[in-house]
Amino acid sequence: MPETLGSKLNTGPGRIRIWSVLLLAVLALFVLRLFYLQVIRYAHYKQAALSDQLKQYQIPATRGIIEAEDGNSDVPIVLNQELYTLFADPLFIKNPNQVASQISQIIGGSASSYVPELSAKNTQYVVIANKLTQSQNAKITNLQDPGLGTKGQDYRVYPDGSLASQVLGFVNNNGVGEYGIEQALNPVLAGKPGLLKAITDVNGVPLAASKDNTQIPPTPGQNLVLTLNLGIQQQLETILANEYKATKSQELSAIVMDPYNGHIKAMANYPTYNPANYAQVPNQSLFQNAAVDYPIEPGSVMKTLTTSAALNVGAITPNESFFDPSQWVINGFTIHDIKQDGGAREQNIQSILALSLNTGATWMLMQMSQPGGTQITAKGIVTWHNYMVSHFLLGQPTGIEQGYEATGYVPPANLGDPSINLRYANTSFGQGVSVTAIQLLTALSSVLNGGTYYQPTLIDKTIYPNGQVSINKPKVLERNVVSPQVGQELIPLMEGVVKAYLNGGFSFMNFPSNYIVGGKTGTAQVANPSGGYYNNIFNGTYIGFVGGNRPQYAVIVYNIKPNVPGYAGSYGAQPVFADIVHMLINEGYVDPKS
Amino acid sequence: MFNVSRSSVRSRSRLNVSTSGQSNGQRRHKPDHWILINTLLLLVIGLVLIYSISSALADTSGTSANYFIFKQLLAVGLALVAFFITAKVPLSRWRKHYKLLMGVAILATLVAIALPVNPSYPAHRWVRFAGLSFESVEMLIFAILIWFAHFLANRIKTNTVRSFSQTVRPILAALLVIGGIVAIIQSDLGSTGVIIAMMGIMIFVAGMPMKRIAIFAALVAGLGIVAILAFPYRMARLETFLHPSANCQSTGYQACQALIAVGSGGVSGLGLGSDVQAYGYLPEADNDSIFAIYAEKFGFIGSVLLLVVFASLFWRIAKVAEGAPDDFSRLIVVGVLTWISTETLINIGAMIGLLPLKGITLPFISYGGTSVVFFAAAIGLVYQVSRYTSHVSSRSIEHLNRRAGINDYSSHRRRIGGTYNPNLSGRS
Repeated sequence: MPETLGSKLNTGPGRIRIWSVLLLAVLALFVLRLFYLQVIRYAHYKQAALSDQLKQYQIPATRGIIEAEDGNSDVPIVLNQELYTLFADPLFIKNPNQVASQISQIIGGSASSYVPELSAKNTQYVVIANKLTQSQNAKITNLQDPGLGTKGQDYRVYPDGSLASQVLGFVNNNGVGEYGIEQALNPVLAGKPGLLKAITDVNGVPLAASKDNTQIPPTPGQNLVLTLNLGIQQQLETILANEYKATKSQELSAIVMDPYNGHIKAMANYPTYNPANYAQVPNQSLFQNAAVDYPIEPGSVMKTLTTSAALNVGAITPNESFFDPSQWVINGFTIHDIKQDGGAREQNIQSILALSLNTGATWMLMQMSQPGGTQITAKGIVTWHNYMVSHFLLGQPTGIEQGYEATGYVPPANLGDPSINLRYANTSFGQGVSVTAIQLLTALSSVLNGGTYYQPTLIDKTIYPNGQVSINKPKVLERNVVSPQVGQELIPLMEGVVKAYLNGGFSFMNFPSNYIVGGKTGTAQVANPSGGYYNNIFNGTYIGFVGGNRPQYAVIVYNIKPNVPGYAGSYGAQPVFADIVHMLINEGYVDPKS
Repeated sequence: MFNVSRSSVRSRSRLNVSTSGQSNGQRRHKPDHWILINTLLLLVIGLVLIYSISSALADTSGTSANYFIFKQLLAVGLALVAFFITAKVPLSRWRKHYKLLMGVAILATLVAIALPVNPSYPAHRWVRFAGLSFESVEMLIFAILIWFAHFLANRIKTNTVRSFSQTVRPILAALLVIGGIVAIIQSDLGSTGVIIAMMGIMIFVAGMPMKRIAIFAALVAGLGIVAILAFPYRMARLETFLHPSANCQSTGYQACQALIAVGSGGVSGLGLGSDVQAYGYLPEADNDSIFAIYAEKFGFIGSVLLLVVFASLFWRIAKVAEGAPDDFSRLIVVGVLTWISTETLINIGAMIGLLPLKGITLPFISYGGTSVVFFAAAIGLVYQVSRYTSHVSSRSIEHLNRRAGINDYSSHRRRIGGTYNPNLSGRS
């Protein structure tokens, strides 16, 4: 009765069974293959999947804002504003013409100009417009067009326009600060971006939460309150703009500093620019803060430091007089007085400064070599060099919070140099040495305040993201630069210079008697890149102070290549100094003598 | 023993008085619900899958989020209608009108070739009719199924299955015509393979001697090789298949991404709502590649469960074929089994790197109306046949046979069922 599988079963059900068993066998093979792929090789494919799918994104941190003192309160001078980039996914734009006209109604521009982007092929991301405002963004969002999207990005805004622009710097398109404070304190201002690791679609758009997603929240940047006094800053910039024209200057820089803590109350250069439109500035040199990054041979303003050093080592006394031969021959080269003031005769320390006698500065170097002598020796050279570099900290950046601060140059006390004596005779009155305005002003401030070198600073307070405020304490870089006595001696000497100019007919140097005002001019020869010095191009410099019972503000002016009828120092820089001091007094920024 | 099962069959058949008028002596039973349950399960899995990736699909296609799921719901609705039609309209009537069916299918194929829906697309496979588009080849396969079952049933009846002039030559001629149109003009090698497999298994089941079948298989293999060598893109696909990882960034992109999707699913999968590969990484995520998306979501466990559902469906269909009351209906059921199973195996095989990629959908699960509607229609035919077969499950038969010391149940089952009419079987 039972039949065996054989010829009789070559049709019908028997063969169906063979086929169906074969099918199940293939499915069983598939199960084995799936086991291999999904269980044995899981790690390999998971890794392959993540290398395709897992992408990293930075979450931008909010950049710190910058404030400054204005009257009795701090007001913001650099803020953030979120502006929006409008982009489209043309795949989702069903009616490009209609969408284009909606866009043009909201953000302007002709509707037809948007059509090509909106109907672009083979792309799912086209940027339509940049820097949309909050309200434009809201209107675009209200369209609820699935093909349109906006993306917020912080931009810097400047409520005061170009005010202090070169001090502030700007933030480039990559969110990195360039020039000024934005560059120097970029890490502080920028904060720390967060990190999002996310599984994304093929276009890099993060998908909903996955256990492979990780997020590190960003740390916002710190807010800064500057030492700048916006009132002084504003007036200073106006003065520079006016004097730039009046003195036919090539570039004009000035700094107003509190000598007792190194706080910069105002710092400006002219010409300047508006950081909001930095991308349109044709000449990148406008970005530079020349007051800190453009060292020059300062000329006779340097005599204030030579005098201070000579007083401090006891080589001279403030009332000392000496016979000025009106010229010295050093290393075969003759140093003359540039002012024709009667030739060889008796002079004193006051007249060295007032008449700006180069022979006088050289004589002070000789006294530092050997009291009573008329030779420059190794002792004088080493002493002078030591004062400039180790006391006044020239030839090195001050560390002010600015990008691109220059170092300047003090020639080394190389005693093997056969013309070292001549070289140092020149440096004693400010030639053959290069110094930035901030270096020179800080050095003089350390004499005026009685001998403490405070690091110049623009930062008054730092406000942390949690609201905690940290006051920036003055940082002392050097104590005992000179003795307090030297400051007390130098102040009347510099006041004497101002009086001498007033008596010499510079009526703008007339200041109210309940204030002390001192200064020193400098007319510096400009080195010719092809050797020697130009004989018709000069830089004008001026360094001085104003105060009541004591110097309250130290002020420096660098006027690059002014075109004035007389000496660049007296006629190019001195009037700017006078304007600044009059402004400080008239606007009530200076406490009078009590 | 026999009495027990006989009475159980009778008690069931009593509830279903035959109304088919299909035959004298055939009785109507409850149909095989498992076939319906498995099919509905697959349809639901397909809907859930498409719904779960609809945001990804919308993301890459620019349509609204619910576009795909609405269209697929519509397709499933149409599929249910098709199912009820084919399950209700007696097989004898389908057989009677096989020429009409073939005519409509050939007309549709010609329309697809002559009036392409998208002229820039070289494969002329689509027909637009009454606002709906469908792939002509699905209709062609359905018509071939009816015609070929009719053809073979007649040959069995006249005992001419082995005849060269009566059977072999016409089949070869038909294969050449069909292959020429579908494989060359419509360049649809995948569907051609399905048609050839379907006809081949039907010939096999109809009792063609193994020697002839071997020659037939060799012939098909030779033509297949020619069809691959003659077209560079097929060669590229083959090359890609043989060296998938070397071509991940070019021709092998889809194959690589499919393996990544399957492999990264791991044991338990990423979960229903957290697939990634559908977001633009894996092409044809809703369609040819849907198994890989499924495997990514549900992992090894889910993939095996899906294979079990397919296996269960195939097994039940095979059971229906084995118990079919006559040769025509048996051949129909075998044809449907082969049609559905071949597409399933080709599709999944490609996704797990065992076969080269083919433009073949995963039955009942892939997005796309035509495939769902015609597969549902095919299942309807099986469902109808299942009403007239013995409903004693194979396990219980084996159980009974074992008790009775009978090894071969197939001949006994007819006796058990008691509804078999040898006059209609046409079996020689």
